[in-house]
This record gives sequence, structure tokens and C-alpha cells, in this order.
Amino acid sequence: MNLQVIGCSHHQSSVAVREQLAFTEQQVKPFLDLFYDRFPESEAVLLSTCNRTEFYAASQKPNAIPSQSEMIELLAAHRGLKTSQLDSEMFVHNDRQAIEHLFTVAASLDSMVVGEAQILSQVKRAYQLAVESNQTIPMTHQVFQSAIRVARRISNETEIHANRVSVPSVAIGVLAKQIFERLDNKKILIVGAGEMAEETLNYVLAEGGTDIAIINRTLSRSQHLAEKFNGRVGDWSNLSNELAIADLIVSTTGASEPIVNSEMFDQVEATRKQRPMFILDLAIPRDFEEEIGQRLNVYLYSLDDLQKVCEQNRRSRATQYPKALKIIRQETDRFLLDLNRRSSGSTIAQLKRLADEMKVMELNRLMNRIDLEPEQRAEVEQSFNRLVNKILHPPLKSIQSEPSQGSLLDALKKLFQLGD
Amino acid sequence: MDWLYNISITCFAASYVVVFLLEISRVFFDVALRRLIRVGFAAAGLFAHSIYLVLQGKLEIDSTGVWLGSWFGWCLAAAWILAAAYLWISVRQSKSVFGLFLLPVVMILIAVGSQFVNQPPFTPGYAKTIWNMVHGSALLLGTAVVALGFVFGIVYLLQASRLKRKIPQSKFFRLPSLEWLQRSSEVSLVMSTILLAIGLVSGIAINLIQRAASGETGAVGTIAWSSPVVWSSAILFLWLLIVSIFNVCYRPARHGRKVAYLVVTSFLFLVLELGIVWWTGHATTPRGDKEIVALPVPADEVTLAVKDSIHREVSE
Repeated sequence: MNLQVIGCSHHQSSVAVREQLAFTEQQVKPFLDLFYDRFPESEAVLLSTCNRTEFYAASQKPNAIPSQSEMIELLAAHRGLKTSQLDSEMFVHNDRQAIEHLFTVAASLDSMVVGEAQILSQVKRAYQLAVESNQTIPMTHQVFQSAIRVARRISNETEIHANRVSVPSVAIGVLAKQIFERLDNKKILIVGAGEMAEETLNYVLAEGGTDIAIINRTLSRSQHLAEKFNGRVGDWSNLSNELAIADLIVSTTGASEPIVNSEMFDQVEATRKQRPMFILDLAIPRDFEEEIGQRLNVYLYSLDDLQKVCEQNRRSRATQYPKALKIIRQETDRFLLDLNRRSSGSTIAQLKRLADEMKVMELNRLMNRIDLEPEQRAEVEQSFNRLVNKILHPPLKSIQSEPSQGSLLDALKKLFQLGD
Repeated sequence: MDWLYNISITCFAASYVVVFLLEISRVFFDVALRRLIRVGFAAAGLFAHSIYLVLQGKLEIDSTGVWLGSWFGWCLAAAWILAAAYLWISVRQSKSVFGLFLLPVVMILIAVGSQFVNQPPFTPGYAKTIWNMVHGSALLLGTAVVALGFVFGIVYLLQASRLKRKIPQSKFFRLPSLEWLQRSSEVSLVMSTILLAIGLVSGIAINLIQRAASGETGAVGTIAWSSPVVWSSAILFLWLLIVSIFNVCYRPARHGRKVAYLVVTSFLFLVLELGIVWWTGHATTPRGDKEIVALPVPADEVTLAVKDSIHREVSE
């Protein structure tokens, strides 16, 4: 097994380093081309997300993969950095550790938000880009295809993805559904048009919300969001009326003071006839005065309240962690066993051929010296076959059942003078 | 098909107990196939319950002249309606633990019904008239719907209280959405008002017919308002009528906790009303006059005769 990974992630590297090592899709191919110019007998995959950059190198030939320092040098040179800047920030894993690491990353166990689904598609995309650079990457093909399969197995057999952990997904996918049976017949008001509003709107749409009004102090931004999410642009000066007709309100402004106070809400409440209202105040500082949450049929949740739910769900996911790790260990063993079976196949075939040649030679020599009836000749042949099989069985079994049998295989080759 | 006669109250009550225990276990841990087993037991219990009611009804018709013409049969029939509602809700709201709240009502009704096995049946002469059948059926359905509304209301209050206090929902203790609970409470409120109105009007009709038939002086065309049953029924109906009108005309009453409070209060009124009806011995013959026959019973002459008559009918 010749696999090595170097990389940095949110676990041990600073944001500054991660930013410097981040690759866009367009930057990946030139980097891999550079790699193949220097190490033509190796294979490479580069995985770059907002929280990690990982550089995998593999080869079917022994000692053909670049060393750790060579990989760091290549990476540093490409990004215009000094190797000394990266040495302390990078991790390195080899062979079994590298496989286990990739499986862990693909299954989202190494992510900042454990269980987030995006990482698997990023791993798939990294592999696609590697194939676009080099069509013949048999070693990394096996490892990455297995990683994708392991990630799916963990998703199916554990509840690592079961509970939502991001604030907008918890707000819309969990809490809103505890109040409203459906969102397609509800009036949804988005106050503010920043990144949080946009992210929340993705979940609103996913849950079937269609009647969306976006209200923002800067009209151009609300118009952009309204076009993107097929919503309606509301007038900021008409905020009270918009609040009065809304069922679900998501507020994400950057205002330094609450934009809705008790007095203003009194007017809103008077026209609502106590219709239930779910307010998600995702702004800091808060957009709605806390007292509003005490009103009848008003459910006001702030960012802090939602963080508590997210934290609970994170803890729930953490309980699934040991189960997922157990699967990863099983799958790593299985992968190495399969890999070794395949890689030891030619050596075993050579050994069997050698033994067979020796057997035939000795048998012929014996048969030329003694005269035997056909039945007796067959009996002797069978006896020779059994003898060879009995001699070969224990070493072959040891090689096939040993996950990391590189040394055994090498010993076998040396002992019996077999070629590669 | 003789085995059907061996179905007893214990059979379906035990099924419901198992379903209830499975519902309780949902609060503590998750396990594969439990939902299937739970729904299976509920369906089996409902099937046994249905068979029991049909055969019990047949016995009661032969013995008293009216189907489910006793407190015993009436309680079991109300329990059957609620058990059927449970099965329907557990399919529609499969993730919620609604059964934790509904199944106790079913089991209480069965337990109360079992206490009435030896109680006298409703007066056969009255029970056979169309008015009595409408009266009994409407009150039976109305009672079941009010009980169902009570459960919707209680669950609504729990869910609303949890959301208001911002307590995260447990993975194992999920309740239906407030919107679904509110709509269900509203529907049960309107339906129960209509059904109890039918029950009350038919009761008044029975009262008038009965008085006319008895030839009481000056009784024709009058209602016995002094009877506790009549005035308590009238109060219950008036309450539901006011609540329904309130619900239609005053929009805030349609939303949130008000509906829940109204259905819960309606249930308390109903319990009071049923207590008065039972206490006054309404629609029943004096105790010991004629007792109903309940399944299963020893194979005495009565049941054998009834079985024979059913077999005869089937073969014909």
C-alpha cells in the first residue's frame, strides 16, 4: 500500500493558513499537472473546502510516491509560500491511517459540523477533478470509491445525519414544523436580506414555502433575493402591515436597536386576531423586543434559543460517533484485505507456478525410473499434488488474511526468489 | 367460526394495553419494527373489539331488543370509536406519541364499561323506536368526539406550553403540530355540537312522545325540564352551541389555546352530564328487572340458543 496524505483542517490549522491553501476548482488542474510533471509514476487528488485542504498521493509502485517534504514543497511553491510556514500547520498520514482519515472525512465525522452532508459531494468532486487531470489513477480510484461507499453506509446505519444542526435548518425544518403543519399556505416575511436571510430562504423553499415577502432597508438587495427565490419585495415603511399579515417571520437585519418594539407590536397584534405567529429573530442585536414573545399565540425564538437546539442535536450526533468509527475501522480492514488480495495475486500465482514446475519435474524424473500401472501413476500424481498444496496452504493463507502484509509478501518474494 | 364467540373484553383490552406500553417505550428508546408491531396490535385489538361488539349487539338484541342498549355496550362502542381514531391518527401522525394521551381514554371507557356488565339495559320499549336509535347514536358519537377533542386540547396545551417555554422537543417525545391540533380541536368542537344537538332534539321528541303515550294530564307538548337529565343535557348543548357560535363569530377564539380550553371544558361538561344521566337511571329499567347478557358467558341455554339462531340466519 502506497498512499500518503498531507493537509490542513480546522482542527489544527489557523484560518490564515487555510485561506492561503484554499483552491478553487479552476486552480486544481494546474496544480495536479505540476504534480504529474514531477512525479509521473504517482497519482494525486486534491480536496479543498472552506475548512480543509488535503493532498493525497498514491502509487502502485513501491517508493514511487513523493515524500512528505516533497509534497509540502510542491504545495508551498504553488501557493507562493515558504515550506517553513506550512511544516507546523500540516498533518500527514500514511497507508492505513490515510485510508481511515479519508473515510472519516467523507463520512463527515471530521467536519466542523459533524454529520453535514456537503462534504461527501466535495469528496466526489475532488475525485472527478483528479480523473479529469489523469485518467489512470487505479489506486486512488479504489480508495475514493470505497470512501464514498463507507460514507453512505454510515449514513444508513447510524443517525449521524438525523438531527439538523445549523440555525436556519433547525428554525425552519424543525421548529416551524412544530407550529405549522405546512408552509405552502403560510405568509412568510423575511426582514433583512443578508447571508443568513438567503440561507434561511433555501430551507423555506425546501419545506414548500411559496408566499414569500422580503423587506429590507436597501431595496436592491431585497430585489435580488426576491428574484432569486420568487418572492415579493415589501416596503420598509410598511413593516407593521407586513407583520400583521405574516405567519412566519424571519428577521436578520444588522440594526443596532430592535426594529419592532412593544408599542409597534400592539398595533400589529390588534389586527391579527390572535392568529399564531412564529418569529425567528436571527439578528444580533435582536430585532424584536423580548416582551413580544410573551404575547398570546406568539412564538418568538432568538438566535440563542436556536443555538440550544442545535447544541442538543450536536450532542445527539456525537452519541453516534463511536458506532460510525467502528464501521470505519471495519471498512478500513476490509479495504486493506481486498487490496492485499489483489496486490498479492501475482506473487501467489508465481509461487504456485514455481511449485507446480518443481512438482512436474520431480514427478517426471520418478516416472522415468520406475514402471507403474496407470492407476498407480495417478495415485502418485495425486500424492504429489496434495503435498504441494499442503506445503503452500499455510503461507498463502497468512498472506491473504493479513491486512498489512507488505513485509510478508516481500519475505515470500525473497525466500522463493520471485519477481515483482 | 365458533372461535369468534371466545373473544372476550380481555382480548382487545390486552391488545390496547400492549399498544399503550409500546407507546410508552417510544418515549425512552427507539427500536426497529416497533411501529409495525404497534399498529398490528392496535388493528388486531380493533378487530377483536369489532367482533365482540357485533356479537354482543346480537345478544343484546335478542335479550333486550336493542343493539348496544346498555351502559355496558355504550361504553364499549365509544371506546371502539376512539380506538379506531387512534389507529387512523397513528398512521397519519406516525412520529407523534399521540397514543399516550388517547389510549388511556379508550382503556378507561372499557374499564368503566366492564363495571356495567350487570347493570340493567336501557328500556327496551323505548330503545326500539327510531327516535331512540337516533338519540342513542348521536349521543354516543357526540361523546366519543368530545372525548377525542379533549385529547386534542390537552395535547395542544402541552405542545404550546413547551414551545412557549422554548424547551427543545425530545427525539422520542414528538407531538403533532399546533396547527394540526388546533384544526382537529375545532372540527371536534363543531361535530360534537351538531351530534349532541341531534341527541338533544331527539331526546325531547322521545320525551314528548312518551308523555303523549302515557296520557299524562297536560303533558302533551311539554318537556320535563325538572328532570336532571333534561336540564343537564340542555346546559351541555347550550354550552357547545355558545362555544361554536363564539368560535365562528369571534375570530381570536379560533386560534391557539382558546380552542383547546373550550374542548377541554366541553369534556368536563360531558363527564358531568353522563354522571347525572347514569345517577338518575335515565332510559333504564329498574335494577334487577332484566339484566343483559355479556360475552363471553358460560354456554348456558341462553347463549346456545342465540348461537343457534345466528347459525340459522347465516345458513339461511
